[in-house]
Amino acid sequence: MTAFVDLYTEGDTFLHRMDPRVKILGVVFLTVLALIIGNLYYLLTLLAAIGILLALGRAKLSKTLYALKMVLRVMVLIVILWPFFNPTGTPVLFHYGIIKITQPGIIKGIAVAIRIACLASVWYILMFTTTQRDLVRALVKMGLRFDFGLALSIALRFLPTFGAMVESIRDAQRARGMEFDRGSVFKRSRKYVAVLVPTIVGALRTADTLSLALQSRAYGARKDRTYLRDFSMRTSDYAALALFGLALALPAFAKYALNVHI
Amino acid sequence: MIPRPIGRADKDFFIVARDIKYSYGDGIEALKGVSLRIGKGEFIAVVGGNGSGKTTLAKNMNGLLRPTSGSLDVAGRPSAEMTVAELAHHIGYAFQNPDHQLFSGTVEEEVRFGPKNLGMEEQEVEKQTEHAIAHMGLQEYRQVQPLTLTLGLRRKVSIASVIAMDPQVILLDEPTTGLDGREIADLMKCAVSLNEEGHTLILITHDMRLVAQYARRVLVMAGGRLILDSDPAGVFSDLEILASTKLEPPPVTVLAHSLGGFGIPKDIATPEQLVDAIMRARGGTQ
Repeated sequence: MTAFVDLYTEGDTFLHRMDPRVKILGVVFLTVLALIIGNLYYLLTLLAAIGILLALGRAKLSKTLYALKMVLRVMVLIVILWPFFNPTGTPVLFHYGIIKITQPGIIKGIAVAIRIACLASVWYILMFTTTQRDLVRALVKMGLRFDFGLALSIALRFLPTFGAMVESIRDAQRARGMEFDRGSVFKRSRKYVAVLVPTIVGALRTADTLSLALQSRAYGARKDRTYLRDFSMRTSDYAALALFGLALALPAFAKYALNVHI
Repeated sequence: MIPRPIGRADKDFFIVARDIKYSYGDGIEALKGVSLRIGKGEFIAVVGGNGSGKTTLAKNMNGLLRPTSGSLDVAGRPSAEMTVAELAHHIGYAFQNPDHQLFSGTVEEEVRFGPKNLGMEEQEVEKQTEHAIAHMGLQEYRQVQPLTLTLGLRRKVSIASVIAMDPQVILLDEPTTGLDGREIADLMKCAVSLNEEGHTLILITHDMRLVAQYARRVLVMAGGRLILDSDPAGVFSDLEILASTKLEPPPVTVLAHSLGGFGIPKDIATPEQLVDAIMRARGGTQ
C-alpha cells in the first residue's frame, strides 16, 4: 500500500541532492521535449537518456517496474490498436474490407508507446529522488499558495492511513459474511457501499479532528510565514538547470525555427 | 476450575490449533507457533502487550488471515477448507472500531446484514435479528441511524450484527476501549448472558480487572507465542510473567502480594476473594 503511494527511494546520488525546484523544472522540460518529438528513433534516444538518469540515481529495478506496470499495459494496448485506427501512408501491409494496416501506422503506434514510457519514467525520476515533503515545499517556493501546499501534503500523508482503514473495513465486512468476489459486476459494485460509507464517514471524522488539531497549534496565526529549511541553489543546480534547458531548447529550435523534422 | 484440555480428544473441542505460525507480507512473524484447544461455552480472555499477536491470532481463527504453517480446525473441519463467510457462521468477530463496519440506514438493517450474507431464510434472518437486538438491549434504537449513536451503543450494534449470524464463538476485540465504567459493566452483562446461553466468549483486552472479574481461562500472549494458558488466579499469582508482558495486574492482586506476609495467598483476582482470604487468615467467619 505504502509503495503504491510513496515512490521515494532512499539514496544519496546527485539526483537526490539536486534542488527539487530544478528537478521539477527539468522534468517539465523533458515532458515538453517528449511531446514535441515525433520520430521513433529520437524518442528511443530520449528514453535511453532517461534510462541513464534512472541508473545514475540508483533506481531499484523491481520498484521501477512496479511503478511503471500500469503504463506498460497502456503501451501494449496502443501498439496493438494504433495501426487499426491510423492506416495512413505506404506500404500497405494488410488490407481486407475496412481493415487496413500500413507500415507507418505500426511505427507511429510504437513511437506513441515509447513517448508514454518517456513521460512516465521522467516523472518517476522526480518521484523516486524527492521526498513528498521536499516536493510540496518546492512547489510552495515556486509560488503555490501555502494552504494548497499544506492540503497537498496532508492528502499525501493520509493516503496510506486511508489505505489501511479501507483494508480494515473490508476485513470487518468479510467477517460478517460479505463475499466481495462473488456475483456479477453490478452486484459486486453494490457491495462496495458497505466499504464506501464507513470510509467516507471515517475520512470526514479524521478531517474534523485534524482541522481542530491544526487550529490548536496556531495554524494561520501569522500571515508572513518563516521556514525552518530553505532551499539554496548551488553551482551544480544552475549547471543542471542549464543542461535541462538546453536539452529542450536545441531540439525545439531545430523543429520550429529550422523546420527540421524530429 | 476450567475444563483442562488434558485427557480429552481434539473432537471434543470447537477450535483446535496445532502449532500455527503466521508471517505478514513484510516478513514479520507475528505468530511463532501457537497450539491451543477451545471448547464450547468457555469464557476466555486473551491478554498481552501491543504487538504480542492477539489480533493476529484472532484473525487466523476466523480466516481473515490464513496460517502460514500449522493447522487449524474449526467445528471439526480444517479451516483451510472454509471461506471467511463460512467461518463467520462459526466464529463471529466484532472489530475493535465499530465505525469500520457500520454503514446502514438503521440499526435493524445493520444487524440484518450478516445473516442475509450467510443466505439464511427470511424467517430465520428476522428471528436472529430480533434475538440479537433484544440481547444487546437495542430495542428502542431499532430505527435509529447507527452512526448517530454514542460509542458505547455503536459497539453494541456492531456486536449485535455479529451475534445475528448465530456463531458458536464470539470474539470481541478490545470491546471496552473508550467506554466509561457504566457502559463497560453494561456491555459485559450482555457478554455474560451470551456465554450463559452456551456461546464461547473470547475477549481480547488490556483491562486486567475485566479479566479478573469475568474470564474463566486466560491466554497470555507475548512476542507471538502463547506463554501461559491458565485460570485468572494462576495468571495473577505469577507477577513475573505479567511483568514480562508489559501488563499491569489488577490493584487487588498487587495488594494481596504485599500482604503475603500475613498469610494471604497470591492467587487473588477479585476483591471478594481478598475479603475471603482475610477472613480465613483471621481464623474467623464473617
